[in-house]
Amino acid sequence: MFNDTVLKEIEGIKAKYPDRRSALLPSLYIAQREFGWLSREAMTCVARSLNLPEAVVRGTASFYSMYKHKPAGRHVIQLCTNISCMILGAGKLVDFLETRYGVPANGTSGDGRFSLVIMECIGACGTAPAMLVNTDFYDNLSEKRIEEILENYK
Amino acid sequence: MITLTINEKEITLDKPMSVLDAARKAGIKIPTLCHHEALKPYGGCRLCVVEVERMPKLQNSCTLMAADGMVVRTESEEISRTRRGILEFLLINHPLDCPYCDKAGECELQDLVNRYGPTTGRYTEEKRKVPESHKDHILARNMERCVVCTRCVRMCNDVQGASAISVIGRGNRSRVEPFSSESFNCEYCGNCLTVCPVGAILSRLYIHSFRPWQLDREVETVCPYCGVGCSLVVQVRDDSIKRVIPRMDLGVNRGLLCSRGRFGYEYIHSEDRLRTPLVRKDGTLQQATWSEALDIVAAKLTAVKNAEGGASIAGIASPRCTNEDNYVFQRFMRTACGTNNIDSVSRTGFAAAQKYFEDLLGQGITANLLDGLKNSETILVLGDDPAAVNPVLGLSIREAARRGAGVIVVGYAKGLDKFRTLQVIPRVFREAEVLEEVLTGVFSDRGVRGDMPYVDKGIRELSDRISGKKTGIEGIDETVKKLLQSASTSIVLGMDIVQRSDGHRALFAVAGLTYLLEARLYLLSGRPNEQGLIDAGCVPDMLPGGRPVNVPDFRGKFEAVWKAAVPDREGLTLLEIIEGAGKGNIKALYVMGDNPVRNIPHSSFVKEALRSLDFLVVQDIFLSETAEMADVVLPALGWTEKSGTYTNLERRIQLLRKAVETSSGMEDWRILSELSRRMGVPASYSGPEDVMRELARVSPLHRDLTYGEIAAGDALWPYHGEPLRGEMYEVPEMPDGAKDYNADFYLAVDKPLFHSGTLSRRSRALMKICPEATVRIGAAGAAKLGLKEGDKVRLSTPAGSCEAPVSVDGTIMDNRVFLSGNFTGSGVYDLMNFSIDKITKAPGTEGCEVKIEKIQGRG
Repeated sequence: MFNDTVLKEIEGIKAKYPDRRSALLPSLYIAQREFGWLSREAMTCVARSLNLPEAVVRGTASFYSMYKHKPAGRHVIQLCTNISCMILGAGKLVDFLETRYGVPANGTSGDGRFSLVIMECIGACGTAPAMLVNTDFYDNLSEKRIEEILENYK
Repeated sequence: MITLTINEKEITLDKPMSVLDAARKAGIKIPTLCHHEALKPYGGCRLCVVEVERMPKLQNSCTLMAADGMVVRTESEEISRTRRGILEFLLINHPLDCPYCDKAGECELQDLVNRYGPTTGRYTEEKRKVPESHKDHILARNMERCVVCTRCVRMCNDVQGASAISVIGRGNRSRVEPFSSESFNCEYCGNCLTVCPVGAILSRLYIHSFRPWQLDREVETVCPYCGVGCSLVVQVRDDSIKRVIPRMDLGVNRGLLCSRGRFGYEYIHSEDRLRTPLVRKDGTLQQATWSEALDIVAAKLTAVKNAEGGASIAGIASPRCTNEDNYVFQRFMRTACGTNNIDSVSRTGFAAAQKYFEDLLGQGITANLLDGLKNSETILVLGDDPAAVNPVLGLSIREAARRGAGVIVVGYAKGLDKFRTLQVIPRVFREAEVLEEVLTGVFSDRGVRGDMPYVDKGIRELSDRISGKKTGIEGIDETVKKLLQSASTSIVLGMDIVQRSDGHRALFAVAGLTYLLEARLYLLSGRPNEQGLIDAGCVPDMLPGGRPVNVPDFRGKFEAVWKAAVPDREGLTLLEIIEGAGKGNIKALYVMGDNPVRNIPHSSFVKEALRSLDFLVVQDIFLSETAEMADVVLPALGWTEKSGTYTNLERRIQLLRKAVETSSGMEDWRILSELSRRMGVPASYSGPEDVMRELARVSPLHRDLTYGEIAAGDALWPYHGEPLRGEMYEVPEMPDGAKDYNADFYLAVDKPLFHSGTLSRRSRALMKICPEATVRIGAAGAAKLGLKEGDKVRLSTPAGSCEAPVSVDGTIMDNRVFLSGNFTGSGVYDLMNFSIDKITKAPGTEGCEVKIEKIQGRG
């Protein structure tokens, strides 16, 4: 079950809506943050804290493709490979991430440290290549700079 | 008034409805797939499209409300083309495995494709592959066949309220699954089976065993499990029940069933059924002929009667037998055996409560229709979980809650956890004080009602006695407030509260609330004919129709018809009979269709008492624990093997029809009639209808009632009879001084949804769903003992001990642990003592301290 801080956070979301079902999507994000992905256990926790049936929670979660339905690494790297980033060598960075950290494109490294999501434009064409690590934004990437950045994500 | 034209036919409607309903009302068929009469309009499949003049596009008739002047066409070239297109899309993924699919012959998609569908498909790519899932014991899921009409999901969410399944994924990958994606682990009502239009959800009980068109017959009858009395249709082939289904337009349940009713029928074909009479010779039960066995019983009962008097004989009737069986039973006991010692296991709850309420408030106070429950503004739930004891009644409460009714639960009702608006948790085993405080609260606002001076006086005295002594339990004041605001209140009483040695205190409080609030009172009834057996006279103090046996005028009337004397003194109640047997005052006991050894608290005491008897006759369909002790065992006929009537908890009399032929036993009433003749008091009938004719002649309550009327569904309280007013003119004294129950753990009776008495253990499907007794314990208790789900524990009390696995239940907040008594081996009643409530004569089972030891972790 969630710890008290998380429960309080969910209570806060519940308080915003007249119907507790409305709190489901934001609560799923919280569960995803806590568990890394929407495991059965994570969904059960959401169901209990919102007093909703488990099947309803799973049905709703499975409808949306932007929730994580499979386990992900501790840190999720989202790297852009659209035109500007591609021209400035994003493809090589994908290879670098695989050889240096063992994280394949749209996969997870064997040590569970990183997941790599190849994503569409994040609006940083002027300072490409760019990526997000979890929710942190980085641009002007190079292999060296990536190494420096990822040092902060153990 | 709305007048519209459909297919050139003018239709006038007196209330607003959809175009689809209007067309159906006029006998015009519009095809549908996602629409179902038990569910709200959904507008998902679009097969019900129609043309409406001045509307640019085809319209869904299920969601379009009929309007005045509308001109509608339900068939045209364009409509057919559209429907064909929709069906072609559905057939992209639907496998064409009809020759193998159980649904073929009653498949709505098959019928639609036959009528509108394309004969060939244009789709050449890969079909969706989803393997058929047999991971559940009861339901098979084949999601390749699913057309995602979501009827099952809506049934499960909106009607059953179990919310066990959901549409998982989206678009082409949508499929219906339970949370676990394997076992359903749900209430197993099977109502999803009723609504599935294709073969996507199937019952594994009969999978691949018959085709719908191969059935020999189907028979409308009534469920043998609980007091709701749901109507069901039994489908038979080769004298074996193939399937039990509900029908939307039938009975109190209107298409809904629970797990017991739908899947519990297999016991009737059990290998363990008794086939011949058994007679004890040299210490063992041996097969005998009917005439041999009946002669022995008649001779022995006559001998006991002549030597010791009729008062030394007693009879235990059955709330699973029909009104006819029970009527003949009490006639036999009263006339041939000369005793009024007639009672039933119902005395441990229903009969005790029912008598108390009728004595106080008059006959018929508990006769309320289930529809009234659905329409209540406030429902007070006490004593048990209605959704487990009487599941379909539980659905009425859930429906009321969805309509916005307040549902106040005093104690626990797990099946209503997601539906209740307020829960009041009394101190353990002390529900009475909460109810008394609620009653005084209502009384101090409303004052007396004045209709029944002695009830008013009782309430006033109670109020004086407890005034100022508040328990401080959370929710009581709010309960009082809600009850005072409510324009229509229902009270649903479970029998756990009755099983207290001061149970009458709670009953008085409930009676007081019923009276002051003019509430509807519903008694939960775990057996199908508890009310019927009381009305048929299987109680020690009343003749059929609830007429007191000690009033000579009433007695004389019955004696005239029966042409035999009826003893004038009230007989003994159930527990007095058992105690009497133990003390040697009762020499002979006749048990019809019950298993007192397992169904009365303190099994070892009951066994000891039965062992002291000179003569024990058991008439049953199985060799129960009680029958094993008998001197003579007589095989009876079971449900669907005989006709008769049941009276449900609404007091509606309903007809049970024979569906299968069997050679294994004899109707209960016929056995008794044979015995009666042998004992010199002829009581012969040509059939159950003949028994009802006699009952309708002698019982003032059943006056002029006929099978025709019962079959038509018109046999509602008070039939043509005259109810009596209450008999009690003084409210009995109610001792105060409640005890505190502070030991670590107390044992309480669990009433699981999937079982009923010791009958359901013979049903394979129910045993698969719920195979063994578990010890339900609260999370705090489990943590204290270091117990996890599935750990095996030994429970010990002064009365006995047993072993069972643990089930941790977070909804239990007090120090009670629950164990059921439905299984072979040890059950809750082996471990419990009781002390009789002096007023209701029910067994008080509270305060049974239990020691729990872990003997083995989960294997």
